[in-house]
Amino acid sequence: MTEKFFDEINDLKSDVITFSWFAEQMLKNSIEALINLDKNLAKDVKKRKKELVQTSYQIEEKIFSIIALYQPVARDMRTVVCSLGVVNAAERIGTYGKDIANIVRDFPERPHIENLVSIPHMADLVIDIIGDTINSYELEDISLLAKLSERDDVVDSLKRSIFRECITYMMEDPRNIAICTHYVMIGRYLERSADHACRVAEKVHYMVTGERVEIK
Amino acid sequence: MVTMTENVEILQIKNLNLWYGETQALKNINMTFIDRQVTALIGPSGCGKSTLLRCLNRMNDIVNECRVDGTIDFNGKDILHNNTDPVEIRRKIGMVFQKPNPFPKTIFENVAYGPRVHGINERKELERIVEESLKHAALWDEVKDRLSESAMGLSGGQQQRLCIARTLAVEPEVILMDEPCSALDPIATSKIENLIDVLKQDYCVIIVTHNMQQASRVSDSTAFMYLGDLIEFAPTRQIFENPKQELTENYITGRFG
Repeated sequence: MTEKFFDEINDLKSDVITFSWFAEQMLKNSIEALINLDKNLAKDVKKRKKELVQTSYQIEEKIFSIIALYQPVARDMRTVVCSLGVVNAAERIGTYGKDIANIVRDFPERPHIENLVSIPHMADLVIDIIGDTINSYELEDISLLAKLSERDDVVDSLKRSIFRECITYMMEDPRNIAICTHYVMIGRYLERSADHACRVAEKVHYMVTGERVEIK
Repeated sequence: MVTMTENVEILQIKNLNLWYGETQALKNINMTFIDRQVTALIGPSGCGKSTLLRCLNRMNDIVNECRVDGTIDFNGKDILHNNTDPVEIRRKIGMVFQKPNPFPKTIFENVAYGPRVHGINERKELERIVEESLKHAALWDEVKDRLSESAMGLSGGQQQRLCIARTLAVEPEVILMDEPCSALDPIATSKIENLIDVLKQDYCVIIVTHNMQQASRVSDSTAFMYLGDLIEFAPTRQIFENPKQELTENYITGRFG
């Protein structure tokens, strides 16, 4: 019976890891679609939203049945609780990818302004944060999360600087308003994605050590 | 202002060692039980949890070749001391066993038996004690109309609550329970668990259980024992959420051996 339970926990973890990379890929591809104004790729990301939602439901169901059937305790309980947090956060991150893909679909037929301000750089940082949190969950290694708070601070200040920069471009030329508004929104989506990753990092910390920490 | 939450240490075990012949069953146990709290003792078979429970009211006296050293302080008296009267100790520290064991007498006589032994013979007083004890054991409403019927006609769960009432009738301070629900169905188990929760308002309850969910549901503190050693003793939530010892973790998550 216990062997079956351990198999279920291992299956759950591997499902959660696959799902998290699926969500990360949606965000990553949406940024690629944005940079290259690739509407086909944006369309493709948008299509993946359905699978994102269905898979998150399926994994949640699996978690509910593990709790109902096995009533895990100690580290097993923390793993199950953390997995639920990871799934919810990944679903949000994937959805931000879909939101960015929607923006690309509606993007004006004009080239980018000022090389997309700091968005590509910000996206790289956010995607790295997400990758490190997924790896820390998989490897149960919190050393990857050591500088997360500082890294998240950089993301936050980039969001603010994108906002300020965009305001100046909008004031310079009202034709920039549509594109710059999109940039501001995307800056916010990226910042929120990093926040979700930080919440996951807190849960991974709890899973590994049993102690609650607040990142930032 | 009087604070009700103050923890009163009611039983203190110091350097307790116990041997059955050549075999050491308890190894240098040190622990303190708090009044008006439920403490659960868990661990695999043979870990010493029932032996430890039995030490607390000198039930090991009747086991041949059993040798004990160390002290168990209870209200300033050492329970294990030769001059301590085991009958008096067993009145103050009552015990409920794994299998319900009512006497083959009426329900009334089962509960009245203890007070009678301790010299109470007045009918009115006995009636009062029986009613109060049965109420306290959450059995009164089910048996009040058939107090003169045999206790053997009660269901297993009712018999177990009768045994608890019998323990309460002599006004103990501590109630020991050795797997009190292992012979009961889930509904009867749930009634006993509810009762434990009520009893802890007035008594110190110490329960041995193999059912880990039961330990986590009913107890405030949990002690994990293994091969005669006390491995970890901590608030129940800590034991089941984030145990500090690997052995505890392995046991409660089923990764043992």
